[in-house]
Amino acid sequence: MDSESHINGRPTYGTAAIKAETDAAVFMGNPHIDNLITIVIALGAEIWESRQRMLIMERLLEKHGRVTEEMIEQYVASDEEADLWEAKKAAMTERVYSVLARDTSGAKPFNSPFPY
Amino acid sequence: MIKRRTILGAGAGAVLASGAGLASQANAQDMNRWGTDGPSGLGQRTDTEGEVYPPGTLAPRGRFGRMERLPTLELESRQNFLRSFRTWVNMSLSAKAAERSNQVLRENDLPIDAEIPEARALELLMNEPLPQTASRAWLSSQQLMWNGLREEFEGRVEKYLGEMEAVDNYGGILELNPELDIPKYARHEIHIMPGGYVESPVAGHLYHYGTNGFYMGRNDNDEIHIGAARRMAIPADGKVKRILDLGTGVGQFAMALKERFPDAEVWGIDAGGPMVRYAHLVSTERKLEVNFAQRMAEDTKFPDNYFDLVTSYIMFHEVDPEATRKIMHEAYRITRPGGVFYPIDFNTLDNPPRTAYQQYRSYMDHRWNCEPWTPKWRACNPQQLIRDAGFDLNTEGPVALPRFGVLNATKPA
Repeated sequence: MDSESHINGRPTYGTAAIKAETDAAVFMGNPHIDNLITIVIALGAEIWESRQRMLIMERLLEKHGRVTEEMIEQYVASDEEADLWEAKKAAMTERVYSVLARDTSGAKPFNSPFPY
Repeated sequence: MIKRRTILGAGAGAVLASGAGLASQANAQDMNRWGTDGPSGLGQRTDTEGEVYPPGTLAPRGRFGRMERLPTLELESRQNFLRSFRTWVNMSLSAKAAERSNQVLRENDLPIDAEIPEARALELLMNEPLPQTASRAWLSSQQLMWNGLREEFEGRVEKYLGEMEAVDNYGGILELNPELDIPKYARHEIHIMPGGYVESPVAGHLYHYGTNGFYMGRNDNDEIHIGAARRMAIPADGKVKRILDLGTGVGQFAMALKERFPDAEVWGIDAGGPMVRYAHLVSTERKLEVNFAQRMAEDTKFPDNYFDLVTSYIMFHEVDPEATRKIMHEAYRITRPGGVFYPIDFNTLDNPPRTAYQQYRSYMDHRWNCEPWTPKWRACNPQQLIRDAGFDLNTEGPVALPRFGVLNATKPA
């Protein structure tokens, strides 16, 4: 880009913004833990992308006996399939991430006394 | 059937209008080129104008209702996941964080059903793992969402610029003003959207696809904007011939108003040039003759008493207090006697006490989701500002947007 206002001489009508500070925010006490949470969310998106592609491929093979990249890209799910995928996605999210919702108020340090 | 991206092959140059009324109106033949249907069938790589997509690229992927699908399944799937994840965070994870917040209040002998000072709420919760994890997950998913969209739209910016350039002179008026002095308050990266509403050449694309994620699947076809437009108050005499939507963004509410009042002259103005340029692209595709201009709401340039209806759709909480006051006065100036001013925004009347967790979330939204002016909006007494501008205030409805404020006003005859 040339600047906010032009790209290769073409006007964009852009004006410089005032940047947010959120990239520098630390909520988890250690910025690397914040980063790790971002990574596990990003990995979930990668996994779901692969799962959805596989679901489409399975359906295309079942229907047409062949599959091409274009067929995958342009596939439109039926309402029934879309609902099924939503349910699968929600179940995956719950299965993978519900541990984040665990109440850790009773967490014990690794060297806490053995109780028995 | 012509698809939006076919215009890329047309080689149309960008000739921008820089004043109301200067943009040309498309003739009927040209307008007919703008189909709104997506492609059907599998494997379609060309359109009615011939080979448009180079080997190794994919044809457009059609639409889901009004929205053109994102250009690749990869991006679409990831965005869908992030949308679902956001929903889970806002429902399940936040519910657990709120439970933990109540537990913390009880441990400190504080009431859970009465509002405590915000500083105390933050002090209690800022080091609590569950609320902090909920905030981290919410903002990380949002950052990933923006980054994914940015990679596509800014990564192929010349392609998307070309689409907008090709329709700059079709449809309704488009006024872009590179000389507009955009004040600092309007240049923040609201919702941590990269470049805010003003910087990225594809800010409109980012905003439209990004905020659809915010609505968690409930607004992919402008359902919420259309509902608000249908419930919008109108002047007692029923005359609605001219409408202005302030801070129109990508024009969803202006277009919804045009659909309700098809014979009205409808304008949408916004500080963001790329935003109104995208709004124009979309309205042209939809064959809705809505006029868009890059102007400030505190200085609209319209004549006195020009509009029957002046609206805004959740704009004011993104505006600083001084500009808020000026905009109220400007709205009064351009509304005709008997006309209606309806600024849809967060409720500022009779709000119930906020729980400690709600206060914590509000703070996180303000500080880390980059909502600089929301607390000021809640505190600025907009109902008094509306009266001070000269309007007769109405707080009885109609409720244009459920769960939001009902402040609206009439300019005395």
